[in-house]
Amino acid sequence: MAEQTEKLTDPRWAWAAYEPDADRPWNLARAGHLYRRAAFGASWDQLQQALADGPQRTIDMLLQPQGDIAGFNRTYDEYEVATGSVDQLRAWWLRRMIQTPHPLQEKMTLFWHGYFATNAEKVKNTQLMQQHVRLLRSQALGSFRILLEGISQDPAVLIWLDAEANRKAQPSEYLARVLMKTFTLGPNHCTEDDIRDASRAFTGWFVLRSKLRYIPREHDDGEKQILGQQGNFARDDVTRIILEQPATSRRLVHKLYRWLISETEQPDEALISPLAESFAKDYDVQKLVETMLRSNLFFSAAAYRRRIKSPAEFAIGIVKALEETVSTTQLANDLADLGQNLYNPPTVKGWAGGQHWINSTAIVARQNLASALLQGSGPYDNKLNPWAVAQKHGCATGESARGFLLDLFLQGDLNSDVYITLPNTPREQDNDLGGRIRSLAYAIVTLPEFHLA
Amino acid sequence: MSYTRRNFLKAALGASTMLSLASPGPNLLVRAATAGTARRDDRDTVLVVVQLSGGNDGLNTVVPYDDDEYARNRPTLRLQPKDVHKIDSYLGFHPRMEGFLRLYKEGHLSIVQGVGYPNSDRSHDVAMRHWHTAKPEDPNCQTGWLGRAADSVWHTKQKDTPAVFVGPIVQPFGLRAEHVIIPSIQSSDDLTIDPAPGESQPKQAVELSRADKDNPLLNHLRDCTANARANSRRIEAVARASANKAEYPAFRLAETLHTVARLIRADIGIRIFFTELGGGGIGGFDNHANQLGNHCSLLHHLSESLAAFVDDLKKDKLLDRVLLMTISEFGRTVKENGRRGTGHGAAAPVFLAGGKLKSGLIGSHPSLTDLDNDAMKFHTDFRRIYATVLDRWLGFNSRTVLDRQFELLDILNV
Repeated sequence: MAEQTEKLTDPRWAWAAYEPDADRPWNLARAGHLYRRAAFGASWDQLQQALADGPQRTIDMLLQPQGDIAGFNRTYDEYEVATGSVDQLRAWWLRRMIQTPHPLQEKMTLFWHGYFATNAEKVKNTQLMQQHVRLLRSQALGSFRILLEGISQDPAVLIWLDAEANRKAQPSEYLARVLMKTFTLGPNHCTEDDIRDASRAFTGWFVLRSKLRYIPREHDDGEKQILGQQGNFARDDVTRIILEQPATSRRLVHKLYRWLISETEQPDEALISPLAESFAKDYDVQKLVETMLRSNLFFSAAAYRRRIKSPAEFAIGIVKALEETVSTTQLANDLADLGQNLYNPPTVKGWAGGQHWINSTAIVARQNLASALLQGSGPYDNKLNPWAVAQKHGCATGESARGFLLDLFLQGDLNSDVYITLPNTPREQDNDLGGRIRSLAYAIVTLPEFHLA
Repeated sequence: MSYTRRNFLKAALGASTMLSLASPGPNLLVRAATAGTARRDDRDTVLVVVQLSGGNDGLNTVVPYDDDEYARNRPTLRLQPKDVHKIDSYLGFHPRMEGFLRLYKEGHLSIVQGVGYPNSDRSHDVAMRHWHTAKPEDPNCQTGWLGRAADSVWHTKQKDTPAVFVGPIVQPFGLRAEHVIIPSIQSSDDLTIDPAPGESQPKQAVELSRADKDNPLLNHLRDCTANARANSRRIEAVARASANKAEYPAFRLAETLHTVARLIRADIGIRIFFTELGGGGIGGFDNHANQLGNHCSLLHHLSESLAAFVDDLKKDKLLDRVLLMTISEFGRTVKENGRRGTGHGAAAPVFLAGGKLKSGLIGSHPSLTDLDNDAMKFHTDFRRIYATVLDRWLGFNSRTVLDRQFELLDILNV
């Protein structure tokens, strides 16, 4: 990755669309990078197609893939509606991440799940949790305005935030507090008075028998003052006023920067401002995501391997590369042990992510998960078979399979001193070539480099 | 001496000599934070929490055997003076707690009496939540006190996991953290690296790339991977060395504490262990009917498991680094309920075990006549124990974790 550090802080250059040149060629490493961020990793065919199509056309396809996406999602929605437990919802979602024709949509649904973090253990209602994530998915690349309005009247969110009964005499301040301080403006952009009056605007709304209900006599229709505006505000005025604050858009752009570009350092305000200003005009999520993905900054050294994969990204990256589906019921449990219990983010702030994913015990657990996935027996059965995948893509020898797997998982981007210590090239006369290659694949996906997105 | 007078004297003495404000302990936090990549300090202390799920009947655990009020209120559940293991002329341990008596006599067990909190709740979920969040006044609190403790000492170069839950049930809320991932394990095997697929033995591990000055994330992964390998080997070595040596009874809690002892011995940097007795859900200590037999067996498990744990740690002079503490969501009603059981109460004793305890009996036994809704009243807020453990034992900052400064208890020899 060639450096252009002096240009990285120039927003015009940073957010302009990347065009490959001699210094920054379109190659396997950049294609792998794009698929790690905009999807959950890539298969060999996807990497090859991306190389042939070039970056901008590949991004077109990631934003607007072909195929019956609505039909796919409808089918999975039906599966989910038929389940009786959050454990099964977790399994269906992981399966969706693996099989979806629109991986960017699932990737962004996962982003919103951490952003509007709502915890099933507290909500205690499978159906409401299913509806909640469905709402996130429906606007994953849609309108932040519609999403925020949906969140402010989502029964799961109201239960989670102790706001099932917003009585006139006893407004639920916690909902307004989280909505303003965590979900939108951020901690230093509103006062206790703003929160109190916003919670008064929410009065009248109840969750009764899992349904949202409005009881007019419980609504406080008195005058309120919220973020400098005065009026007899109701719920929808609160979201409107929040969306008029520049802090809302800026905070979202910051979070998305961390999700799509880099976790290592806080970006310059100069980089954030143009995106935040443009986002505030229409709250079009897809446009914002698109700007980031297409950018020079996204394909620069400042972004490359500057995120740590969440447990789901780590595991699904292995599964996608090996072109199969594994038991996602088991996988959901294993990911929970790694700290990412889907449908159960730890607090309203979601998963802290980044370096927090990793400590010594997390490494042990990730290695043991990789071992189980590649074992060829046990809970994940014989679904993932690296030798078979290598053969499918034209590898006839152990030597060629070794090179293939390094390209598949790491796009060959590995220090040479690490490369030479990887398990020896398996020889054809070895009577357990398949087993040797499993062991080699395990050695690759447990390298520190593979944990980086 | 009449009961009331003795009670009064105990309360008066307790307040002046035992519950006085202690001086802050050595600042281990600073040391931990500056240690960076250096070798861990061998003197790092360890906290082990044992949760007694369901609400333990303190009155039949530490028994005021000579109190007429006890006899009068417990016609069928009463434990006889001749059967209890006497601590003094007023109190004795439950007859099946031989281990606790021995630990007490050796100075390795303390009883903090009359522990609770203001306006305590009597539903299992809410009360246990209060003990877990340590913020009963904040119904929206989303983190546990030990989760916050782990978060409070996190730094970007931290490789070791600061806390683990050992047990088969869902991880208790007390460990809920905002940032740090706290694993749940069932045995020390869960913290060792399995052999690669197709291998029966762990192989020589792949070389790791050199430090990359430009990528802190890669460096962190690299350091943690190296550390994970080293820790895994240490745990395996300890497991091999102590395979048949330690003597633990065949109880689940004993097995859990055996795992904890192994991990302390392996010295892999875990400062906080959380364990549990009584099972998930409401918990085995909740005995509304026919309490005697069930409670007896749970207390026996508790007492003998702890005694084996303490003995095991003593062998390698590790006991001085370890403090164990029991928690339970509430005590029980003084009066039994007509079904040979008891209802949900309030104040109850907290047990501490370890090598650095100051005195055996801390605070007075709460009155059996001055009751709040049939339950004994507390005089020591449980958060004073938490604060003491955080500040003086772990060297963390209790104010950061508990949001205010609770008065510390002078219960530790540190």
